[in-house]
Amino acid sequence: MSQAWLPLATLATSLLVVPLIFALPERAWRVRTVLNLSAALLKVVLVGLMVWGLYQGESYRFSFTVVRGVDFLFQVDALGLMFAGLSSLLWLATTVYAIGYLEDSPNRKRFFGFFSLCVASTVGIALAGNLFTFLLFYELLTLSTYPLVVHRGYAKALDAGTVYLRYTLTGGLMLLLGVVALHVMVGDVTFGEREMLADLGPGAHGLLTVLFLILLVGLGVKAALVPLHGWLPRAMVAPAPVSALLHAVAVVKAGAFGIVRLVYDVYGISLTYELGLLTLLAIIATLTILFGSMRALAQQELKPRLAYSTISQVSYIVLGISLFGPFGTIAGLVHLMHQGLMKVTLFYCAGNYAEELGIHRIDELDGAGRRMPLTSIAFTVGALGMIGLPPVAGFISKWYLGMGAVEANMPWVIAVLVASSLLNSAYFLPIVYRLWFRPGPAHGVGEWPAERRTGRFEISGWLLWPTCSTAVLSILAGLLAGLPFSPLDLASFVTAEEYLP
Amino acid sequence: MIARLGLLTPPATQPDALGTVLLVLVTPLVMGALAAIWRPRRGWPIAALALLPLASLMVLSQEVLASGGQAWLIELGTLTLHWRANGLTLLLLWLTQVVTLASVAYAPAYLRVEIGDQGEQRWLWPLQGLLLSSLSLIWLAADLLSLYIGLELMGLTAVGLMLLPGKVEALVAGMRYLLLALVGSLAFLLGVALLLGAWARLDLGGLAMAAEEGMVLWVAVALLSAGLLLKAAAFPLHAWLAPVHGSAWTPVSALHAALVVKGSFFIALQLWLVLVPAAHIAAWLVGAMGGGAVVWGGLLAWRATKLKDVVAWSTVSQLGYLLLGFSLMIGTAPQVAEVAWEGTWLQLVAHSLAKAGMFLATGNLIFSTGESHVKGLAGASCRMPLSLLSFGIASISLIGLPPSAGFTAKWLLLHAALEAGYWLWLAVLALGTLLGAAYIFRVFRYSFVEDAEPPEARRVPWSMELLALGLAMASLLLGLVAEWPLTLLRTAGGGA
Amino acid sequence: MPPLLDALLALIMVALAALTLLDRQLVRACVWFVAFALAVSLTWLSEGFLWLAMLEAVLGATFTGAFLFYSLGIGPGAAKPRGRLARWHDPLPLPLTWRRAVLRLLPALAVLGMLALALAGFIEVPGPLRLGGMGLIFMGLWAFALHRHLLRRLLAFNVIGTGIFLIMMALVRNSSPAAGHGLVITGLLVALLGTALGALLIRRINGLDASREPATDVAERGSG
Repeated sequence: MSQAWLPLATLATSLLVVPLIFALPERAWRVRTVLNLSAALLKVVLVGLMVWGLYQGESYRFSFTVVRGVDFLFQVDALGLMFAGLSSLLWLATTVYAIGYLEDSPNRKRFFGFFSLCVASTVGIALAGNLFTFLLFYELLTLSTYPLVVHRGYAKALDAGTVYLRYTLTGGLMLLLGVVALHVMVGDVTFGEREMLADLGPGAHGLLTVLFLILLVGLGVKAALVPLHGWLPRAMVAPAPVSALLHAVAVVKAGAFGIVRLVYDVYGISLTYELGLLTLLAIIATLTILFGSMRALAQQELKPRLAYSTISQVSYIVLGISLFGPFGTIAGLVHLMHQGLMKVTLFYCAGNYAEELGIHRIDELDGAGRRMPLTSIAFTVGALGMIGLPPVAGFISKWYLGMGAVEANMPWVIAVLVASSLLNSAYFLPIVYRLWFRPGPAHGVGEWPAERRTGRFEISGWLLWPTCSTAVLSILAGLLAGLPFSPLDLASFVTAEEYLP
Repeated sequence: MIARLGLLTPPATQPDALGTVLLVLVTPLVMGALAAIWRPRRGWPIAALALLPLASLMVLSQEVLASGGQAWLIELGTLTLHWRANGLTLLLLWLTQVVTLASVAYAPAYLRVEIGDQGEQRWLWPLQGLLLSSLSLIWLAADLLSLYIGLELMGLTAVGLMLLPGKVEALVAGMRYLLLALVGSLAFLLGVALLLGAWARLDLGGLAMAAEEGMVLWVAVALLSAGLLLKAAAFPLHAWLAPVHGSAWTPVSALHAALVVKGSFFIALQLWLVLVPAAHIAAWLVGAMGGGAVVWGGLLAWRATKLKDVVAWSTVSQLGYLLLGFSLMIGTAPQVAEVAWEGTWLQLVAHSLAKAGMFLATGNLIFSTGESHVKGLAGASCRMPLSLLSFGIASISLIGLPPSAGFTAKWLLLHAALEAGYWLWLAVLALGTLLGAAYIFRVFRYSFVEDAEPPEARRVPWSMELLALGLAMASLLLGLVAEWPLTLLRTAGGGA
Repeated sequence: MPPLLDALLALIMVALAALTLLDRQLVRACVWFVAFALAVSLTWLSEGFLWLAMLEAVLGATFTGAFLFYSLGIGPGAAKPRGRLARWHDPLPLPLTWRRAVLRLLPALAVLGMLALALAGFIEVPGPLRLGGMGLIFMGLWAFALHRHLLRRLLAFNVIGTGIFLIMMALVRNSSPAAGHGLVITGLLVALLGTALGALLIRRINGLDASREPATDVAERGSG
């Protein structure tokens, strides 16, 4: 149990905050704000400490036996830290955003309580060292996000919550069945012990393939792979911070992260390749990418369009994993982080437009660039990154994906990349055009749907700062990709350290 | 398996060895009688006095753990009673004490604020004490006569408790319960008569050796099972359970659903393991009954409109999981049986704690809103967060979501089913989880509704809230530390 | 005792049980029950089980009878019953179609069949105790299945119980009478307590019901 306290402390920063928030009365928003922000900062610091320690060669581990042969295990490795770092950074940003967004709303105590629980689950997923612990926090994530989805309490939100639960609980059940089956076959599989499954020999390949598919279904629900994506657009009724969190950091990423773990740490890339499952993953990813982009084109409202864009973008991660070779792996892992930064920026912007100007539809965005310049710049940055234009970070991901495709002898993937970039342009560029080049209420043409003045600048500072910060980070991640500790560097580190196929 | 039940332990020879056991059995009776005279109005004196039975149980636990299992012989003239205590007995005794004491401590505040002066309140205390003693006797008994005494006492006390509210619905439901309980007793007695007639002994250890396959054994087991499964509300003999809970007092409901039906289940499982340990076809049939219970109970809970009905049907559904244990332990390979053994008892403990907590929380919610329908919960998430929280935590264990004890138990049962190759039970467990989630989240959906304008909520006394929360948290926390009760289970007299 | 007298006693016992279960008038049925209990007591005596005879006389005849009469409203200190019971008759049972009758009797017949098969496995020639016991069980089950009135069902339950006791003592008379005694004594106490609870229930339900709607007979409903 070397250095067990650090991962436990990281989990505790959000977990222990939960009862505190629930114990405070609803009115005590100042105390709650301080509590939330300090916990978020503390978590970033602790994750930073763990990253530092990992670079120095330390190992962090915590385990105890739950039942016979089943251990609860926290084991910190580079991949988990990447995800933990992403979630803690974005949690800090989203906490600030949520404080501003939900000002004067009812039920903030309930919201922030479950919000913290949600982040605790995400950190747990990141630090989990075996499938049992992963499953534990995966299900806890489902439970803690349900109250966030139905937060508003009206019929549409409740229905969205029901749909969300149907999908995620069924997915969780499939995951449970797969994990138990694996336990029955080989016992407790710690992440990284790939030889346990590989040593079973060719006779077990049929069974292993079936298990892989079952586990993929369980993870694919959260990762919004087609056709398991139905809950995501419906969950748009949640408040913007929830959408930002769900779609950039917590739920969807957890699913994608799970698939990464499954392929690299449980089965191992060589076994997956032997079973022919990499091709299957590539096909599913391609389908999702194209389907998501095409549905996004058809949307008239901003948030649903971003939702389908998420479905499409997260599959880049899966696509990267399915390309056999270091470039593909780097592409998948780095896009995990880049997509988080860019998508959260876009959702923050959508929330800003809705809060300040009451804009929900795309055709109401005319000329918003003049009224809310910083937000619109951030949106443009995010959109360009999604399309894959330099210097935003999205370009790096696509570049590496292309190289990975070449390396893996799957040139058709390049065609997919090109097609999807074109589709991305088709649904993002018109928005950018509307923002900057169409005359709107700011120029005297028509009126904003519901204008409010929430702050001294274009919008309240609570809402503006996170938006700009994540936009800046997206650019920096792209520009400074060559520097140490950049997302690209971390992804290369992970690939080099552990996953050379 | 006989060893796991502790039936192979040689009996103690010292004359005073019986003292602690008798203390454990008699203390609740005395306390019940005292409470009937004194009629406590507050919960804390009860909580203080509750330390007495807990202390006696602690002493017994130490003795049993030190020796690895104990057995006693009680001679009444030419009649000999056999009792034994091993790890499993201790686990069940502790569970019974904790849940009963929670229910007893809940009662004064409940009677004061909700019931007022109706019903026969003074009988609540002695009946609860008698129930605790009879359950303890059931866990301790190693011969059929003691089991019969314990079973009958438990049944009659349970009926009596259900009749306390004194209203017509309670009486009518209680009448049905009485008749079915009596029918069950008759079937049980007939089975015992056949066993006694055939092999001239009542002790379970001896019967395990002496029993031979044949018509007599089959008929006896069939009669015993019919009676016991009727008392345990196993599908399709479950129809009496939901109406009985609809009108019962909350602490009585909690006690009943958590423990009374489990007592009959325990006797049934024990008798099967003793008499017919290889009857896998018959066990499969019982497993199928369990599957039916899970699905049918789940569906009816989903459709129920009253909150207490949801919880009552949920009990029927969850008992199905326990019945699956029959088919996983009888006639299966040893490693499967071992995992199923642990899973079944863990599920029993998890369900008892969670169900008791859920009933108490439901009582709080109904009292606070003044409404017994699920729709009446609108807006509860901001007005009664603590009761709803207790309900939610208990329901996590019921659905079987991590990290609760229900999840760990389900994990073990899934493991056993997979290892035995029983795909049908896999489907049953999966379906049960989904149905559980359906009816629980339906309740939560109503509580999140913001549109309605609810009337003022009555304040629930602190003791009631805390007891519900305590039981619910116990079921949650037991999930990760499941190794503790399981280690206790493995302390069996005669080796595991 | 000579076997002829044994058989005669058993026949009287069965006949009294039949009268108890079949009489249309409730009060008379309870009277037959007390007589039946006394006959059972005599049977125990003739077989040599003194304790059982005594307990049967005390618990079965006296106390159970007292509770039954209390439920009907007869006895010192009992209020005059109102409602249906005032007429001492129990109204016509549900029209019994063949289908309903078969459905209800099926479990009873199944139990009986199984019991007969099991008992056939015992070597000794069945004596009056065993046969009498089986007869009682058969009639009791039949009455329990077809009647709906709580009091009648309680009577049926008592008859079945007695049948089981008889069979039990017949089986264990030579091998382990002590255990049999223990079980039968417990059974008698349980039957008494059950009947007592049932009697209290009947009084309470009818009291509550009479104070609301005198037209409905609550003892009828709910015992389906």
